[in-house]
Amino acid sequence: MTGAVCPLALLSAGTEATVADVRADRGMRLRLAGMGLCPEVWVRVQCADWGSLIVSVGDARYALSRGIAMKVLVREAA
Amino acid sequence: MIGIRIALAGNPNVGKTTLFNALTGSRQHVGNWPGVTVEKKTGRINRNGHTIEVIDLPGTYSLTAYSADEVVARDYILEEKPDVVVQVVDATHLERNLYLTTQITELEVPVVIALNMVDEAEATGCTIDRERLSSLLEIPVVRTVGTRGEGLDDLLDAAVREAKTSPHHEHIVGYGNEIEAMIASLVGVLAADKDLGDRYPLRWLAARLLEGDENALAKVKESPVSSRVQDILSGTDLDEYEAAMADRRYDVIAAVLPQVRTAGARSMNVSEMIDRVVTDRYLGIPIFLALMWGAFELTFVVAAPFVALIEAGLAWLSAAVAGWLGPAWLASLVGDGIIGGVGSVLVFVPNIFILFLFLSFLEDTGYLARAAFIMDRLMYAIGLPGKAFIPMLIGFGCNVPGIMAARTIEGEKDRLITILVNPFISCSARLPVYILFAGAFFGAAAGAVVFFLYVLGISTAIGSAKLFRHTILPGESSPFIMEMPPYRLPTVGTSLLHTWSRGAMYVRKAGTIILAGALVVWCLASFPFGVEYGSSESLAGSLGRLLEPLVAPLGFDWKIAVALLFGLVAKEVVVGSLGVLYGTGEEGDALSTALLADPGLSAATALALMVFVLLYAPCLATIATIRKEAGSWRWAGFSVAYGLVLAWTLSLIVGRIAPFFLGGA
Ligand SMILES: Nc1nc2c(ncn2[C@@H]2O[C@H](COP(=O)(O)OP(=O)(O)OP(=O)(O)O)[C@@H](O)[C@H]2O)c(=O)[nH]1
Ligand SMILES: [Mg+2]
Repeated sequence: MTGAVCPLALLSAGTEATVADVRADRGMRLRLAGMGLCPEVWVRVQCADWGSLIVSVGDARYALSRGIAMKVLVREAA
Repeated sequence: MIGIRIALAGNPNVGKTTLFNALTGSRQHVGNWPGVTVEKKTGRINRNGHTIEVIDLPGTYSLTAYSADEVVARDYILEEKPDVVVQVVDATHLERNLYLTTQITELEVPVVIALNMVDEAEATGCTIDRERLSSLLEIPVVRTVGTRGEGLDDLLDAAVREAKTSPHHEHIVGYGNEIEAMIASLVGVLAADKDLGDRYPLRWLAARLLEGDENALAKVKESPVSSRVQDILSGTDLDEYEAAMADRRYDVIAAVLPQVRTAGARSMNVSEMIDRVVTDRYLGIPIFLALMWGAFELTFVVAAPFVALIEAGLAWLSAAVAGWLGPAWLASLVGDGIIGGVGSVLVFVPNIFILFLFLSFLEDTGYLARAAFIMDRLMYAIGLPGKAFIPMLIGFGCNVPGIMAARTIEGEKDRLITILVNPFISCSARLPVYILFAGAFFGAAAGAVVFFLYVLGISTAIGSAKLFRHTILPGESSPFIMEMPPYRLPTVGTSLLHTWSRGAMYVRKAGTIILAGALVVWCLASFPFGVEYGSSESLAGSLGRLLEPLVAPLGFDWKIAVALLFGLVAKEVVVGSLGVLYGTGEEGDALSTALLADPGLSAATALALMVFVLLYAPCLATIATIRKEAGSWRWAGFSVAYGLVLAWTLSLIVGRIAPFFLGGA
């Protein structure tokens, strides 16, 4: 588990990864934690639409704007 | 006779309002997208002689509220201290839902879990050992299926029992030695402030402070112990605590879940398959536009025979009334005032119902959330988050809930812009005006004209948003994240119920506010005594001629001026007033025929008028909502002024340009 770290926004559809770090402001970070998006969580990109994404996190699926997807750093699954 | 207050809390879109409606018999708005409920709603039940008050709260992902609707939920639980919190939990998203449970239990209120959507969980072959979950969490867990009304009695029993038990069960996550030591020392300091201790559970407050929660920091700011709290916090890395605490909560959940849940075979997810098509980067927008276009066609085509039927019925009625009622003034009051005014609005009930049916379909299936995603790119270009598209779609029904829906938007400036542009989204009340004028003057092209007006409304909203973003409310659009609910197939029953509860509002409005408007206009058109009804010598005529200079450049005469003035109350009144002023005639002609016969009205003027009605000042209810949601009369006033100026300018332009396209009408 020592792949390179990159923003979630750069992943293409179908890629799986684990969250390495969330670099948003604290309020947003706490909200994201409530949504299950915090370090070490497994995510899968379902749809990547020029920056905005649909991602599965656990049982849930979220649409993220590019703004947030750039702040969520992930480590691509080998 | 002790009253018990039960608050329904939980993640968004888990079925809180569905349970609330089932428990209390209310008809609050339900929809398959997160953020439907944005303010608290109260209902009462009588049970074994006890009054139980049930409060439905907006959904929230954590008690660290991030948007305006989440603040409502958190503050209610924290400040109003309900006797018991029923956390509605979506059985298909246990992990994330239980995260909120760990936060709610820290508030030291009695909690009962309503394990909802069990039907969906079971459909995937997943089973949940409810009793084991209950004993592991030390919280009563009741199985419910909100849509079928299952488990309501058990839920109420458990809630009442829990509210009356003291000390109640309490399950609190332990955060490990280091953090617990910090919490203990903070609690020690905080305890010195008696006032604080009376209002908030100190362990909860301490934990929030360690997480760097700004709301918690604000709470201790005024306290005499504030500086000592700061001393403790200043030497620490809050970011680290925050991450560690979230970790611990998920660890606890991860330890519980395998003991209670056996996952079913995960079949290929239908929602994912549908999404692959509808959110496709090339197909997404065309599919969305096709849906909208189809909806407008449907609104016209399917409604047409019903409209004709109602028109015929009203024509017969007004002809009959003219024969039955003795005194001429009474016949005029009923024929011109009531049938002419209210009838001309009621004619469009079929169109309105079909529009609502379509909107409730968008909401109940879950497509609405996808529309926000599809539009994200476009919205980003104008400086708003994609989420801001949802209030717009809701605004097609009515701008009041549209503006309220803006509460889910996190950035304050983004929210304000979303509120201010919502009135340009053409609500259902404006549809009668279009159908009337487009139907009369544009014949077969009526559908296209109405589609043009809706697109003009959206374009104006988007253009204004961009303008506001660059002038009065500068800044970047806040990043957004939004849950995509699974697609759900609405039953015919729920679709009709949702359509009916909104459509009924339109009918009720016709019987109240529009009736009142029509009667006022009728009086103005009839007095002073002796003048010819509806002539320019009547009071209405004088009023109209006073306003006429303002709208004369647009080609509108005094009758239209009066209709527009009263249309400020509610936009259907424009049609109602014209119905009164033009009278239904002896033959009970439809209003459209009378309009067509008016030499002062051309197709170009009709188009200019429709543009004016689309854009000019929002109705009274919307103005009041803007005032409430934006927090000041200034914004409401701004909205009215901006709308009027824009409407005047655009309809002047349209009125001048249109003749060239319409062949010099
Ligand atoms: N299958 C199934 N669907 C349910 C159940 N309860 C609610 N729903 C559906 O879930 C969706 C959301 O229901 P709501 O009651 O609006 O959810 P809410 O928690 O009030 O949502 P917000 O107000 O947005 O926080 C609707 O489409 C309901 O029909 C259930 O027990 N089973
Ligand atoms: Mg709700």
